[in-house]
Amino acid sequence: MSEPTGVIHDIGYRHYDGVRLGRRHATVALAVHSLRGIFGLGRTIRAKIIPFLIVGVMMLPAVVSIAVMALLRQKVMAYTSYGSIMQAVLAVFLAAQSPYIVAPDLRFRVLPLYLSRPVTLWDYVGAKLAAMITAMFLLLAVPLTVLYIGELVVDLPDPVKTGNYLAAMAGAAVSALLLSCIGVAIASFTPRRGLGVASVIAFYLLTSAVSTLVSATMESVNNYTASGWALMINPFFLVDAAVHVGLFGADASSPVVYPSGGGAVALQLLLVVVLIALSVIALVTRYRKAAAR
Amino acid sequence: MNAVIAGISYRALLGRRRIWLLVLLPVVLIGLAVLVRMISGGSERIAVDFMQKFALGTILPLLGLIAGTGVIAPEIDDGTIVHLLSKPISRPVVAQTKFLVASSVLALFAAVPTLVAAYLLVGFESGIAYGFAVGALAGGLAYAALFMLLGVLTRHAVTVGIAYALIWEGVVGNFVPGARRYSIQQWAQTVADQVSSSSFLSSDLTIGFAATALLLITAGAVLWAGQRLRTFSLTGDE
Repeated sequence: MSEPTGVIHDIGYRHYDGVRLGRRHATVALAVHSLRGIFGLGRTIRAKIIPFLIVGVMMLPAVVSIAVMALLRQKVMAYTSYGSIMQAVLAVFLAAQSPYIVAPDLRFRVLPLYLSRPVTLWDYVGAKLAAMITAMFLLLAVPLTVLYIGELVVDLPDPVKTGNYLAAMAGAAVSALLLSCIGVAIASFTPRRGLGVASVIAFYLLTSAVSTLVSATMESVNNYTASGWALMINPFFLVDAAVHVGLFGADASSPVVYPSGGGAVALQLLLVVVLIALSVIALVTRYRKAAAR
Repeated sequence: MNAVIAGISYRALLGRRRIWLLVLLPVVLIGLAVLVRMISGGSERIAVDFMQKFALGTILPLLGLIAGTGVIAPEIDDGTIVHLLSKPISRPVVAQTKFLVASSVLALFAAVPTLVAAYLLVGFESGIAYGFAVGALAGGLAYAALFMLLGVLTRHAVTVGIAYALIWEGVVGNFVPGARRYSIQQWAQTVADQVSSSSFLSSDLTIGFAATALLLITAGAVLWAGQRLRTFSLTGDE
């Protein structure tokens, strides 16, 4: 009888019999990982340059405003207009970073690997969206809060505008929700990061340019209602009109008068909700297809 | 100029999803031109304003970005550029071919729709349509070269490109007049102003400065991209 030729060695493989943290933990871990990745944490130094440069630019008006408040003793800008003034910077951040969180997974077709774990499709999409929403919110909320603390510390003669600050924070939350859903949905349609960046920025540039243009044209023929509604094509002004002006009664941050009145505000809020819903549906449909491959 | 490389670049640019964005932007431009025409009824002032802000200010940089980075950045991203660079073709020729492909795409998707949009707005009145078409072509060439160079220099070419187009040309250019001297958009407008005789179109720069700057940027970027490809090292994705 000959010696056995093939031997299975006992290399000491052991089962994992610790606690299984489960679906929710996995989802939270994915969201936190994506959020860190958006700001380049845990990635190479080159991946940190762009997000932190943008954070720096976003902080600039807050720092300058505090300096002006301290030296010249006067208010520079309303909290609610911060987002509208810095909209180009916010849009660049959205365009630069939303493809990052969706494109690599689609490109390397690792979705089935995620879905073979307890994480479901909705968990995956939800985690990615939550990460982007949190990042966009932080990007606007941190400068606002710094500015607010600055106003408290500087202690101007006129009362502190806490109401305006809270309205701006609510607006920051709604605009983060709306922009992130749209941005991630657009970015998810291509596995290429470069094209994703271009598509998201094309969306912002087209909506902002078209809204300004149509609004100005309507104003030139004295149709002020249409002019106000045309401005709503720009998501930043839509949120400004719906939340800041509509819900909190702040001053508008655009030169054109928004459509006002209860019906108009309700319609604007509905528009925000519909846009978010459509983006989420598009995103889930896209991922159903990607997961099947 | 190398026909095979040109063919590959055309396929990369016009195949798959990129073409939709390249078609969408001119369609929006022409659609809006029709809308503005219907509302404002052929006013020359509004037409010039529309062409300056929308055609040259928004659509052209976007198309330049998509075409300019699109000819080379995906290949670098995929790593397939290695196959191209390992062939006995001079690297500057590779860069020049890709630049020609991007410029021809921009001529078709940016300059021609600009001409059509301006014609729909005011017809061929005071050379506005020709002026903006020539301006779009000149600006498009410079954008194509610059953004192709960015694609060779960095993995984040599109982000750097939009930061330049949106923040430098858009925001900084609006507040700091000096920044306008160094903006492709302004140079393109100067060229348009030179060709057109419309009194509503005026530019702060002289045509000599703008033309020299456009030429220098275009030629310089293509040459640099070629030189850069000669010593190209493919780094991994982060």
